Amino acid sequence: MKKMNQDKTPVRIKGMGNSLCITLDPSQPIDYLQKELHRLFKRMKHLAVNAKVILDVGELEGHEELVEKLGKFLKETFAVGSVSRPPVKQLPSEERRRKQDMECSWGRYHSDVLMLTGRVRAGQKVTAKNHLLILGDVNPGAEVLAGGDIFIMGTLRGTAIAGQPDNEEVIVLALDFQPIQIQIGKIVAAGLPPSPEKLAEFAHVENGTIVVEDYLEADPFGRLPWPQVR
Amino acid sequence: MTNDEVERCNLEGRTIVITSGKGGVGKTTATACLGAAIALEGKRVVVIDMDIGLRNLDVVMGLENRIIFNIVDAVKGKCKLKQAAIKDRRIDNLFLIPASQSDNKGVLTPKEMVQFGEELRKQFDFVLMDCPAGIERGFENSVAAADEAIVICTPEVASVRDADRVIGLLYARSITPKLVVNRIVPEMVKRGDMLSHLDMVDVLSVELIGLVPMDDQVVISSNTGIPLVLQKRSRAGEAFQRIAMRLNGMTDLPIEVPQAQGHFWKKIGNKLGIGK
Repeated sequence: MKKMNQDKTPVRIKGMGNSLCITLDPSQPIDYLQKELHRLFKRMKHLAVNAKVILDVGELEGHEELVEKLGKFLKETFAVGSVSRPPVKQLPSEERRRKQDMECSWGRYHSDVLMLTGRVRAGQKVTAKNHLLILGDVNPGAEVLAGGDIFIMGTLRGTAIAGQPDNEEVIVLALDFQPIQIQIGKIVAAGLPPSPEKLAEFAHVENGTIVVEDYLEADPFGRLPWPQVR
Repeated sequence: MTNDEVERCNLEGRTIVITSGKGGVGKTTATACLGAAIALEGKRVVVIDMDIGLRNLDVVMGLENRIIFNIVDAVKGKCKLKQAAIKDRRIDNLFLIPASQSDNKGVLTPKEMVQFGEELRKQFDFVLMDCPAGIERGFENSVAAADEAIVICTPEVASVRDADRVIGLLYARSITPKLVVNRIVPEMVKRGDMLSHLDMVDVLSVELIGLVPMDDQVVISSNTGIPLVLQKRSRAGEAFQRIAMRLNGMTDLPIEVPQAQGHFWKKIGNKLGIGK
């Protein structure tokens, strides 16, 4: 919330929906503010009766005494209906997005993930427009191709081509990562050294080259503060 | 019709294709051995050489000098099935239908083979087809007539790759193949220089029905034309016999893993806790 500008009048009035919003400068002496309010309200007496008044001192907390005193003054002098502090203002865009996500905005999102179960054998080729999820293994000589990410819930021993044609933000993940070749976007990594043990690893692009890391250790999406649609 | 023949008509035989994708992994040897072993169990068996143009199952079985008609003649109706099937004189109930040496694989079509397979099924308990290497016409002809398949694979990366492809093609034709791992050298597996059958099953993920060790007797047997299963002290022959038993109903027969044959004194030393 922006602080009030000092060189503007200490009391301003604005119609807001069904209420009157009064912006006050709390740094001014209370008598002066009351005098100003009186001056303003006198001119629009007929509007003030039973009106909802919002007193905005520029901050969400503090200045209770000031607000209480001025509220009492307005109620007694001009018979306004109610006096309150401004409601919690509209959330900034990021917070709003977060709120939406927390409210399961993905419920309406139709994801196009190709999810397959079973083994992809040599000579077979699986192509997905967007993300590809395989619950099974990919054998050597097999090829899996996706427009987005590739997730293999099993052993990847074949070729995985993700982010086609040119998305380098995607990842290739396998619970046992032993591919013959990985392609992400237009970047190719061949002859990756085999991992000594079964590790959930993933490949992603970093500074124009493909990097393979332990998925649980690197936890690439764990740092995102809330769930997002990918 | 005798009682025996009536029974045979009622009980349809099983048609099994023996394939591998890659060449030289032991399909022909396996076909000959399994055919002989199943016949020794008392079943009426025919082995068919589907490698038209490159026949050699007859040589391995030692029946090459008795060929008059071949599978192309039988399928095209130039001769009767009985005329084309050569009876083995050493093993009762074992028959061979040889391939044609002069034709090429395009001479037969899958449709013709399906018909021929139905005819064979009525006459025999087991029909074993020796599929040629590759996945072209010869493979298609063999698979069309079969309702079961055995994939032979050696512990080599190339062989596993081709077997994997073939298994995929068999699944696409609604055949669930079984796996035989051939030519295992236990010493090399132990040293880690050879793929273990566990790794292979891990990749291929089909039912394993036998592990066959490397055996010099195989070469001797194919050269002399004496069936391997008739030779005593052949480790490969014994392994094939056990596979035949498994195919013939003894499905719970445990699969023996070939073990390295240590030297006699070394064995004793190991027992006593010395040596190595």
